[in-house]
Amino acid sequence: MIRCSLLAASVLCIGGCMEVEQVSNAQKQAGQTVRRDTNPWSNEPLANGPKWSKGDRTSWEEQIKKRQLAQHEHRRIYE
Amino acid sequence: MLLTRKNNGSASQHGTSAVQHNRLSQGLSSVLGKTIDRRTFLKRSGMTAGAGIAAAQIPFSMMGEAKAADAAAGKTEVKRTICTHCSVGCAIDAVVQDGVWIRQEPVFDSPINLGAHCAKGASIREHGITHDSHRLKYPMKLEGGKWKRLSWDQAYTEISEKLLKIRKESGPDALFVVGSSKHNNEQAYLLRKWVSLWGSNNTDHQARICHSTTVAGVAQTWGYGAMTNSYNDEQNSKSLFFLGSNAAEAHPVSMLHTLHAKENGCKVIVADPRYTRTAAKADIYVRFRSGTDVPLIFGILHHIFKNGWEDKQYIHDRVYGMEDVKKEVMAKWTPDKVTEATGCSEAEIFNIAKTMAENRPGFIIWAMGQTQHNNANGIVRASNILQLALGNVGRSGGGCNIYRGHDNVQGATDVGPNPDTLPGYYPVTVPASWAHWSRVWNVDLAWLKKQFASEAMMAKPGMTVSRWIDGVLEKNELIDQESNLRAIVYWGHAPNSQSRGLEMVEAMKKLDLMIVVDPYPSASAAMFAMVRKDGAYLLPVATQLETEGSATASNRSLQWRQKVIDPLFESRTDHMIMYQLAEKFGFAKELIGQKGDGKPNIALVKGKGGMEPSMEDTLREINRGAWTIGYTGQSPERLQAHMRNMHQFDVKTLRAKGGKDAKTGYDLTGDYFGLPWPCYGNAALKHPGSPNLYDNSKHMMDGGGNFRALWGAERDGVNLLAEDGSHPKGAEITTGHPPFDHVLLKKLGWWDDLTEDEKKEAEGKTWANDLSGGIQRVAMKHGNHPFGNAKARAVVWNFPDGIPQHREPLYSPRPDMVEKYPTHDDVKNMWRLPTLFKSVQQKSVKEEMHKKYPLVLTSGRLVEYEGGGEETRSNPWLAELQQDNFVEINPKSAADRGIRNGEFVWVSTPSGAKLKVKAQVTERVGPDTCFIPFHFSGWWQGQDMLPYYPEGAAPIVRGEAVNTATTYGYDRVTMMQETKTTLCQVAKFQA
Amino acid sequence: MARMKFLCDAERCIECNGCVTACKNENEVPWGVNRRRVVTINDGVIGAEKSISVACMHCSDAPCMAVCPVDCFYKTADGVVLHDKDLCIGCGYCFYACPFGAPQFPQAGAFGLRGKMDKCTFCAGGPEEDKSEAEFKKYGRNRLAEGKLPACAEMCSTKALLGGDGDVIADIYRERVARRGSKGAEAWGWGSAYGQPPKGAAPAAPAGGKS
Repeated sequence: MIRCSLLAASVLCIGGCMEVEQVSNAQKQAGQTVRRDTNPWSNEPLANGPKWSKGDRTSWEEQIKKRQLAQHEHRRIYE
Repeated sequence: MLLTRKNNGSASQHGTSAVQHNRLSQGLSSVLGKTIDRRTFLKRSGMTAGAGIAAAQIPFSMMGEAKAADAAAGKTEVKRTICTHCSVGCAIDAVVQDGVWIRQEPVFDSPINLGAHCAKGASIREHGITHDSHRLKYPMKLEGGKWKRLSWDQAYTEISEKLLKIRKESGPDALFVVGSSKHNNEQAYLLRKWVSLWGSNNTDHQARICHSTTVAGVAQTWGYGAMTNSYNDEQNSKSLFFLGSNAAEAHPVSMLHTLHAKENGCKVIVADPRYTRTAAKADIYVRFRSGTDVPLIFGILHHIFKNGWEDKQYIHDRVYGMEDVKKEVMAKWTPDKVTEATGCSEAEIFNIAKTMAENRPGFIIWAMGQTQHNNANGIVRASNILQLALGNVGRSGGGCNIYRGHDNVQGATDVGPNPDTLPGYYPVTVPASWAHWSRVWNVDLAWLKKQFASEAMMAKPGMTVSRWIDGVLEKNELIDQESNLRAIVYWGHAPNSQSRGLEMVEAMKKLDLMIVVDPYPSASAAMFAMVRKDGAYLLPVATQLETEGSATASNRSLQWRQKVIDPLFESRTDHMIMYQLAEKFGFAKELIGQKGDGKPNIALVKGKGGMEPSMEDTLREINRGAWTIGYTGQSPERLQAHMRNMHQFDVKTLRAKGGKDAKTGYDLTGDYFGLPWPCYGNAALKHPGSPNLYDNSKHMMDGGGNFRALWGAERDGVNLLAEDGSHPKGAEITTGHPPFDHVLLKKLGWWDDLTEDEKKEAEGKTWANDLSGGIQRVAMKHGNHPFGNAKARAVVWNFPDGIPQHREPLYSPRPDMVEKYPTHDDVKNMWRLPTLFKSVQQKSVKEEMHKKYPLVLTSGRLVEYEGGGEETRSNPWLAELQQDNFVEINPKSAADRGIRNGEFVWVSTPSGAKLKVKAQVTERVGPDTCFIPFHFSGWWQGQDMLPYYPEGAAPIVRGEAVNTATTYGYDRVTMMQETKTTLCQVAKFQA
Repeated sequence: MARMKFLCDAERCIECNGCVTACKNENEVPWGVNRRRVVTINDGVIGAEKSISVACMHCSDAPCMAVCPVDCFYKTADGVVLHDKDLCIGCGYCFYACPFGAPQFPQAGAFGLRGKMDKCTFCAGGPEEDKSEAEFKKYGRNRLAEGKLPACAEMCSTKALLGGDGDVIADIYRERVARRGSKGAEAWGWGSAYGQPPKGAAPAAPAGGKS
């Protein structure tokens, strides 16, 4: 009961909370915001998995956001 | 609290460190409530580098398969199967590479689970991991007190010699075959056939101890003993009353539909002796005394009648006997009496009544909380009556959503090994049933009769799984068959799910032979080896993920599983073992049938370890015979098309708006997902299945229906058939009518609607045994129900209590209530055995058991485990989450006994048994009640039974089985065991 | 740009542990290491019991990243907080810093090297070559590189646990909360993980949204 309020963040803000891009010290020193890893969209899609065009971040993100709606049963139910 | 629940903070053999748990939850509470400051947090968390003691003790098998996980490395296939852990029917896409199951993906397209899984479903791939597997790997026998490896041939030879000797000496009824709700429909069906060909009705399966009282009570009220609607249909509901179901733990994915409904304004009510995870999601929660469901339900009904909230038109049109019920409820179940029995206040009961009345349509949802009582046939019928009074049955959004347990317990009940019925509920007592099935099987009826001890025994329902121990132990002159049971086959069934464990071990001592056919040898092997030096065989069998076939979910939808992987180790499929044993017994030909042209009904196909009956052909044979319940339209082709096109089915209605199967061109339009039975007529008729039973707002060919005509046209001058104007939409006969047969068709002038071929077959037949399906087709073409159109029965006059009565449990905490609401008289012969009621109850009162054992003991599920639990307790991903069995005890009861949370205690019961479990001190239970989950086995009154398991085949987590200590008590109609209300005492542990 | 987040809806979570075993299954996490956990508070207290699934939240301003003495953490372009086990010295500072208790420390010999920290990767693997055996062994599966989302969220029994782009999560959650009449409007842990409500926004929902 108490907890609810104390750990609350208003739903109204969940989309729009301010976010500051965080980089590690090493990243800062190296002058990069992202280090060491391949971006997911740089991969070849699996033969029997979701599709996007390799290397194209936008198409990967579109695909991911579309897939994410599977977590939203309203979409399937009321579509 | 979670921590205690999970492992009581003490590392057991495989112990996750409690530290790990503490870290996370305390870390969480620092976020959540800021109630623990940082200093306290660090102190409490006991943070040490390298926490996670024993993390490496279980070698983590799968590392070696990481290579296979690289999807680029080779060709992968995706096999679609259905979770084997409960009756919801969640679809799974299994990714298989070179015969190895490497990944598991959610099936978002499934209209049933939309990709969702509980702990069991999300970890099902573990089945396919062979490293450090706890499966039984090859046939074994107990010899000189040791489990010894055998070849299949040797095992078959020895088993068949022994069984044939017993048969020769004592007749076919000396064998009892415990079948399985884990079998798919085809295997369950073949097993009932197998036992029939052996010449006995002594067979049963989990449904006896799970929903037999539902099946009997519900079918006797309105026609079919099954869940009326679907999980999905709860989305169309305005109130959901959970009485005897903890769906959040037992059917977690069903809660997706429940909570979705709740978000749209549906009221959720939970009445339970425990504050369960389901109750935590309720709008209204009421705690009541275990076993007082009839007073609770009739207390609600009292308010409904008193306020005139009943649906009068509906009752007039569709219900028989409600006036009699009303008279009795108004007189007997006044609020004071209800409060006296249940412990609930009048306001609480009124609130439920008002909420249900104001929020229609609505469901009553139940599982074992209603069914596992020695008065359960009355409890379930009281629920039916309440729903009939509210006009809630036979419509979308309302009815009795009866959650079945195992993944195919509905199907195994429908077409599998039951002692009183042949597939499709054709009663063994009626010679026509045998004639019908021997025709479908293409087996000579005269030959079949000779297989039985006599025609009388052929027509006599067999013993039940709940009582097989008495079939062994009872005095021979008191049992209703020639010989006592001498041999038992446990074919996919856990022994720790049956009550009176102490006596089960006595029965095992006396058996000539026990055969366990199981992927996991289960507690049966260990219990047997604990008291015997020889006399048992273990046969390793494939799981449902290692074969194909159909399974019927709780909502009556059939889903076809593809085989994911080959049977592991030396295991073979159930149907292969049935066939190979049949070869030894000389009825292999009959098992697969032989048509006039000499070809078998069921083709043999190659499997791992030999030839096996084709599952597709077996389903076709079921289609050919199971007319009564409409298992006739679900051809393998239609089911497989549904599995490939799940995305076409609407989530709220389960109906396909359109769509064609790309592979076969099959048009899905109008089909309900999985063709929920009844799917009448043959496949060509394209009946869409029945999503909601008895729903007369739809045409018969749209899945509509009405209540069944099974009990004649009138009783004592009162009409039993539906009143004028009550009929399925578009029906030509607009009033009640009897079932269709050749005479009725002729009288109606509809005979000539049959084709010439149909006429030949239909002559002299009924809707239930016309193999052409013509009678059903013509009845439905005219919009009428093949099984007639009648009223539901509020009074089931052929049961001992026509109107449900409250009868106190045999071991009641309330002698004053026993005096007012005593149980039945003892019965000399029920299901071949004498059965005690009053004498046990009186003895309990006389010996003041309620003083020696002052707490009510009830049992139930945990989300991580299933059934007897050997399989799920062998899965490390699950086992890690529940490492010890425990008893939930209220803080007051614990304090009174000096018991502290997390320590071992002894729980003893009037059976004389005592259980060593950990105390879970919690307000989930009231001060008068204790709860122990039923999934554990492998400890026996404080001793670990590990030495008695075959090496490498013991589950990771073992614990006391609650049923070692449960007491005597059976339902008067079905022989359901009482496991939900008995007595216990809890004491501090002393070695 | 997509920004990966988690949200657990306490009005829906039933503590079924599906997320926990989905994680075990997909990442083959050894016994004793729990990247994800379900915690129930006020267990058994009528009207007050809540369950919530917790793992690394991949915070905006990740405290683990700030305190790591060897700088083994990094953030991917889509906002996932990952770390390099080759650099990790197992000091445990990140555990102290994490408000969610997410970092885990397996015993020597299991799942990587001695004392290395292990935690939820948002099913995004680690610095090794994507989808390689080395990546799988050290960090688990890389579902993002397959165009999929974390197994826990994708398999959640009641769709309580949402995982994916923060904006899409917010849309889904908003619709749900609106439907149930603002009941359970609190997004558990979001304040800690992704920042406080901006000034001028509506205050946090009052206590007793459910009680």
